Amino acid sequence: MNEKKQSAFKGLLGTRGMGAVITAFAGLLIIYVAFGIIDRNVFSGQNVMNLLRSMSKYLLIGVGQSYLLITGNIDLSIGSMVGMSAMISATLMTMGIHPIIAILVALICCLCCGVVNGILVGKFKLPPFIATLGTMFVSRGAAYMVNNNRNTDAIATGIGKEAGDRFQNFFYYGKTFGIFNTFWIALILFLLFFFLLSKTRTGRHIYAIGSNVDAAKLSGVNVVNTTIKAYLVSAVCACVVGLILCAQAGMGNMEAGNMYEMYGVAAGVIGGISPLGGTGLLLGTFAGAAVWQTLENGLNMIGAQVGIQRLVIGIIVVFSVLLDVVVRSGNFRKKSNS
Amino acid sequence: MVSMKNIVKNFPGVKALDNVSFELRSGEVMALLGENGAGKSTLMKILSGVYTKDGGSMEIFGKTYETLTPKQAQAAGVAIIHQELNMCRHLSVTENMFLGREKVDGVLLKNNEMESEAAEILGQLKIDIDPRQTVGDLPVSKQQMVEIAKALSIHAKILIMDEPTSSLTAKEIDELFRIIRKLKADGCGIVYISHRLEELQAIVDRVTIMRDGQYITSGEFHSMTMDQIIANMVGREIKEQFPRISCSKGKKVFEVRGLNAGKLVRDINFSLYEGEIVGFAGLMGAGRTETTRAIFGVDPKTSGQILLDDKEIQIQCPMDAIRAGIVLAPEDRKKDGLCTKLSIRHNLALPNLDLLCNRIGVISRNKEDQLCEKAVQNLLIKTPSVEINAANLSGGNQQKVVVGKWLARNSRVVIFDEPTRGIDVGAKVEIYNLMNKLKQEGIAVMFVSSEMPEVLGIADRVIIMCDGRITGEVMARDTTQNEVLKYATEFEKKQQAR
Repeated sequence: MNEKKQSAFKGLLGTRGMGAVITAFAGLLIIYVAFGIIDRNVFSGQNVMNLLRSMSKYLLIGVGQSYLLITGNIDLSIGSMVGMSAMISATLMTMGIHPIIAILVALICCLCCGVVNGILVGKFKLPPFIATLGTMFVSRGAAYMVNNNRNTDAIATGIGKEAGDRFQNFFYYGKTFGIFNTFWIALILFLLFFFLLSKTRTGRHIYAIGSNVDAAKLSGVNVVNTTIKAYLVSAVCACVVGLILCAQAGMGNMEAGNMYEMYGVAAGVIGGISPLGGTGLLLGTFAGAAVWQTLENGLNMIGAQVGIQRLVIGIIVVFSVLLDVVVRSGNFRKKSNS
Repeated sequence: MVSMKNIVKNFPGVKALDNVSFELRSGEVMALLGENGAGKSTLMKILSGVYTKDGGSMEIFGKTYETLTPKQAQAAGVAIIHQELNMCRHLSVTENMFLGREKVDGVLLKNNEMESEAAEILGQLKIDIDPRQTVGDLPVSKQQMVEIAKALSIHAKILIMDEPTSSLTAKEIDELFRIIRKLKADGCGIVYISHRLEELQAIVDRVTIMRDGQYITSGEFHSMTMDQIIANMVGREIKEQFPRISCSKGKKVFEVRGLNAGKLVRDINFSLYEGEIVGFAGLMGAGRTETTRAIFGVDPKTSGQILLDDKEIQIQCPMDAIRAGIVLAPEDRKKDGLCTKLSIRHNLALPNLDLLCNRIGVISRNKEDQLCEKAVQNLLIKTPSVEINAANLSGGNQQKVVVGKWLARNSRVVIFDEPTRGIDVGAKVEIYNLMNKLKQEGIAVMFVSSEMPEVLGIADRVIIMCDGRITGEVMARDTTQNEVLKYATEFEKKQQAR
């Protein structure tokens, strides 16, 4: 029994990219404890709950963006899709349309964006930076246009207070087993996409096209479809985050999700996902999102201002990648010499 | 097994294949020979479904194919092992072998099953590789073995190997040949494309020769002489495969004393003289490339002196070396030697901008034109214009551009690192002539090559390295390949035990 456990543990450690994940979790622990020492409230149960809830957004965005980073691409439209999802669902609900239908419409719109991204990048070979820059503006534009360039009214005005509360509780304010629903939603999606990436054929193909797209193609991998799938994952994540933001505010905000695509990149990169493709584990993204949120939360608790927060986070991002590069080049030198 | 008749393939503006016929029987190794641009790769890409033919007929195992997709070709049993290895470096051996046809149970990947199957195939081939290892961590030779294993795992019966030995050591080549013989005995047909003619006799049964997109001849390998083969490939007699020019040895130009840099450059001492080509022989990984890089200032040195005309010079970075008159034509043309997306003009001008610019840094178009014209004329670079991208040139012409960059400067020492790798016989001779010309001009030439015949044929003096040290120095005239090989395998005890 013990032996079996040990070998399983070894297998886990031996997984490619696990080193970066462990580093990220270690960093998370250090940051968390350091803030806790400065301010005991950081350790309080309520703060932990809040932490989990607010990191959920970054986790989802990070997962979506990580899928693209692993394929060697990027999705700049995630943040705008978040805004679009929030605005579409909120607008429909203020018109008295049932939340489930509103959610479905928002989801379909986001998926359409994802497919367009995937086709532009996968089939027409547009540089992903340019293709998704386009859809970024288009979907932000759509977010503005949905309600005639205005934020929406409270969703309760359309679907009634009871249904509005139910929607808000489901996505943001409610708890299940003592933990905010937001985190459960994020966790379930995380596990789903974790499973998809590490255990299925699609996941394997996502790593393959990020590693060497020509080799993948010659091995019979459908590069276009795989790219589209990766962009669909980020679209789903963006849509859910849009719904969460809508539930949090109880209304649609046109600027919802602004800059989130970059938070996603940051979460992935802190967690050891190479922006050059082919490597990285979603577990790292989890750690990255947690690091990000812990920093924000901790800096908030000790009274640091927004400017300082941004500054520190920027340094952490660069530093974590720098660390990775230094470690890797050290490895490389060792290998080429022996 | 395969019969291709009167195949025609047109690319915009070029007839890449003109009535080419090709036949492969089971249990044989067929060498497909020809200079670069002869159409060998195009023909094989048609066979493997990457390109579609514009005319002619193609039969694989008696079945006629009008159009063929890569997937169909794979299903028909055709596998291609590419010159530039096509592997996902970040994935494991197993993952690469099963890429695109993973075994699944519902949606779950059956990792264990795939792993054991991969291990079984590797075992059959007697290849010692852990199927769980990441491919990027394996040496190139092992990566190639993985490609072969991958081909076998899809039950390929027709294997196309494009320059399989270009980056292998002698020992690894033996290992590869052992596997090829095994495949042959199992009834596979193998198409073998190589520029290294001397290795053909070890394995090849028949040859097909192509030139300029046309079929020239084919026949039993043993009924042809090497000279006939070469004559058919280049379409003219090459008088000498290794033209050597005698020069009187002049004064010492360049000296390296006690150079150390990392583990593969250890206590290197040598000198170069005017009117002399010094060959550097050795196995892959002997530290020759590393030595050139340390001299040129690419990699940091831990200790050592570099003297030019008996004066010590400091080289911290390539710029220092270039200023002192030491230049390097690196091993990997596409990666280190050229900006492939820039035109020939820009490539030629790049290291000479200081000479081409006026005082405020504006490039003189006139001077640039002159430089390009001179380079194209002197080096016989075959190109319609200097404005086309370096990527579009053949390997031999690319190499000439790499060399041409440096000739505008009055260099004292020119270092060639594997200048003839992957280029055809005709172009090789042109490169040799170029080295001879430099030698006649009194420039010291350092010539690193893994191909023993050319080192012995072109260099005047040969320095042999093994494991980062110089293990021998011989005059090319008085030595044999065996002697050089003996020095090249003089490992230290510790290494032998491994």
